[in-house]
Amino acid sequence: MSEEDSGENLKEETSYEGENEQKMEELGCSESSEGKEQETVPVTRKRPEPKPPSQPAATEKPAAETVKVSDPPAVQTGWGYWGSWGKSLLSTASATVATVGQGISNVIEKAETTLGIPSPSEISSESKDSTGGSENPAASNADAADDGSSFPIAGALEVLSTISTAVQSTGKSVISGGLDALEFIGKKTMDVIAEGDPGFKKTKGLMNRTSTLSQVLREAKEKEEQQTATEVTMATEKKAHYGLLFDEFQGLSHLEALEMLSRESESKVKVVLNALSGEELDTLKEEMEQLKEAFSLPEFFEEEEEEKKGDEEFTKEVTELFSELHISSKPDKVISVRTSAHEWVAQFNSSLPEEEKESEENQEVGSRDGDQDAKKSVEDIHAFAIRSLAELTACSIEMFHKTAALFLYGQKQEVTATDRAKSLSQLTIMLCKELSAFSKEFTTCLTTAGVKEKADVLNPLITGVFLEASNSASYIQDAFQLLLPVLQISLIEARTELSQ
Amino acid sequence: LLPHLPQYVLSFRLIVLGDSTVGKSCLLHRFTEGRFPGPLHSDPTVGVDFFSRLVEIEPGKRVKLQLWDTAGQERFRSITRSYYRNSVGGLLVFDITNRRSFEHVKDWLEEAKMHVQPFQIVFMLVGHKCDLVSQREVTREEAEKLSSDCGMKYIETSAKDATNVEESFTILTRDIYELVKNGEISIQDGWEGVKSGFVPNVVHSSEEAVKPRRQCIC
Repeated sequence: MSEEDSGENLKEETSYEGENEQKMEELGCSESSEGKEQETVPVTRKRPEPKPPSQPAATEKPAAETVKVSDPPAVQTGWGYWGSWGKSLLSTASATVATVGQGISNVIEKAETTLGIPSPSEISSESKDSTGGSENPAASNADAADDGSSFPIAGALEVLSTISTAVQSTGKSVISGGLDALEFIGKKTMDVIAEGDPGFKKTKGLMNRTSTLSQVLREAKEKEEQQTATEVTMATEKKAHYGLLFDEFQGLSHLEALEMLSRESESKVKVVLNALSGEELDTLKEEMEQLKEAFSLPEFFEEEEEEKKGDEEFTKEVTELFSELHISSKPDKVISVRTSAHEWVAQFNSSLPEEEKESEENQEVGSRDGDQDAKKSVEDIHAFAIRSLAELTACSIEMFHKTAALFLYGQKQEVTATDRAKSLSQLTIMLCKELSAFSKEFTTCLTTAGVKEKADVLNPLITGVFLEASNSASYIQDAFQLLLPVLQISLIEARTELSQ
Repeated sequence: LLPHLPQYVLSFRLIVLGDSTVGKSCLLHRFTEGRFPGPLHSDPTVGVDFFSRLVEIEPGKRVKLQLWDTAGQERFRSITRSYYRNSVGGLLVFDITNRRSFEHVKDWLEEAKMHVQPFQIVFMLVGHKCDLVSQREVTREEAEKLSSDCGMKYIETSAKDATNVEESFTILTRDIYELVKNGEISIQDGWEGVKSGFVPNVVHSSEEAVKPRRQCIC
């Protein structure tokens, strides 16, 4: 301890006071000006474009014959795909917020035309048709929810309940096949119906303007905390608050720490660039450009898309990629979180046949017990899904934080900054794919367990999982971008050593 | 009412300092998770790690502790240094079986004082690994003398057998709580050391006064 600082730092830590108030103002203004944000999506954030969907495996029983579906939603662009995550989602989210004032039907119309989903009137007439068929239990179930008064938000929102009711009433196979579409509707309406994560739903739009993600997230978390503490909320909401859980797993703190390292590095880089001139400056700039390129996340090829990774495969790949970084830490935490979540899903799936039989029996007897069991487990699945997403994201951000600290202060290694960036970008892609796979698995569990649930119970849970998975992927990609200035420092250091 | 939600009246940020290998991380693992990681999981801390826990200071009154576990290694000093400023309290840990770690206590204090301004940190001196009686290199008396010279409390702990771990954090938290109650430490904008917490259905004037302003600045 007695040793004094080596004086390696070109600049002392910057202080961040004053920034808070400014942020608060920005947050306060967000609601009125959200719509403008679409244009301000950062250009450096190159994210993959949407990809054509594939057919989800039809694991469910076929729908009842009486149900007609004009456009199978499964054909539409799926969003569970990584492709539509990130940037495109950003504009979608802010667009939704912007339209709220103008009436929700526009939003829905937009969602429908994009997706090719039947219009509310088509749907409602169809759902009336379908409820005629008595052999479809889901339809009669949904019929009960069709009554507008049962839906908590009156007026324009009735139309929403009609849509979800219709989707539900078309039967099991449509739900599982059309998850993508369902989820897309959910995403559009998520910002309108207050549900799930009250504080978090607007972070998408805010991220464009605010320089630090952690600030926005902390603010959102605090709002959420306050809201949940003062309101009497629904049972599901009690269990699964992404923001609170993300903080509980120390995701916010690690993100803040990573941001700090990133900012410090950024200002050091500026000092160096200012001190250089002529050829020296040009070569460095060129190298930095190359490094920056490694930070654009590449698109993946289609074949990769549906490959389902086994546990060992994920572990092996992450470990290998991480070892390419040549640092002293290991990605153990991420791997164990991922593994235990998959074990939970596997256990759930293996326990299925029995449960299904049980609920059928209950149905015959007309007992309420079955319903209650199902209801409880749907909420449990949702809670576990949100928790796992929050934990995996927090651990991923912790991993990036530690990586940054070791890049800056660890032992020098024979590996270039650009090579490290490439491995990290691969790692980021793997994690985001994993989140996407997670969300699909969890929602499949939800649809399986919630066959008999009403649409307005099941759908918010499903959309909640998809929304948080997509948020998670964005946070991880943002965290990855924070490593750029850190690796720029590595690059500069390597050059300095070379010239000496 | 809402058992899943951690309710607390205040949150404190505490920093844990001291030489490398004195057992800071083990102390925190014991305190927050109730377990001792053991020698197999003793990779040195990289930069800084984060833990949190609730502590009941009076019946029904809880404080949330955000705990910053800093790396003892010199190479991470510039990272750990940036954490002093937003801490209200600190545990300054040395290893009673390692004389050098005790001798460095004053350096740590000086370093902290230099970087915490204009704020102050309430410190507590912790003599760790007190289960290793036979290897003791620092007597309780000299540690007590140093702590009183520097205006801190002294406590001897062991993460291995859980001796005084709970006590060390609780005592420090109570002391800080008293200072906050007496107005000697106050919640300030732009300082994360002490923040107010959330309690259901108790709409405190302080929170309410801030909230609406935030929302309608537009």
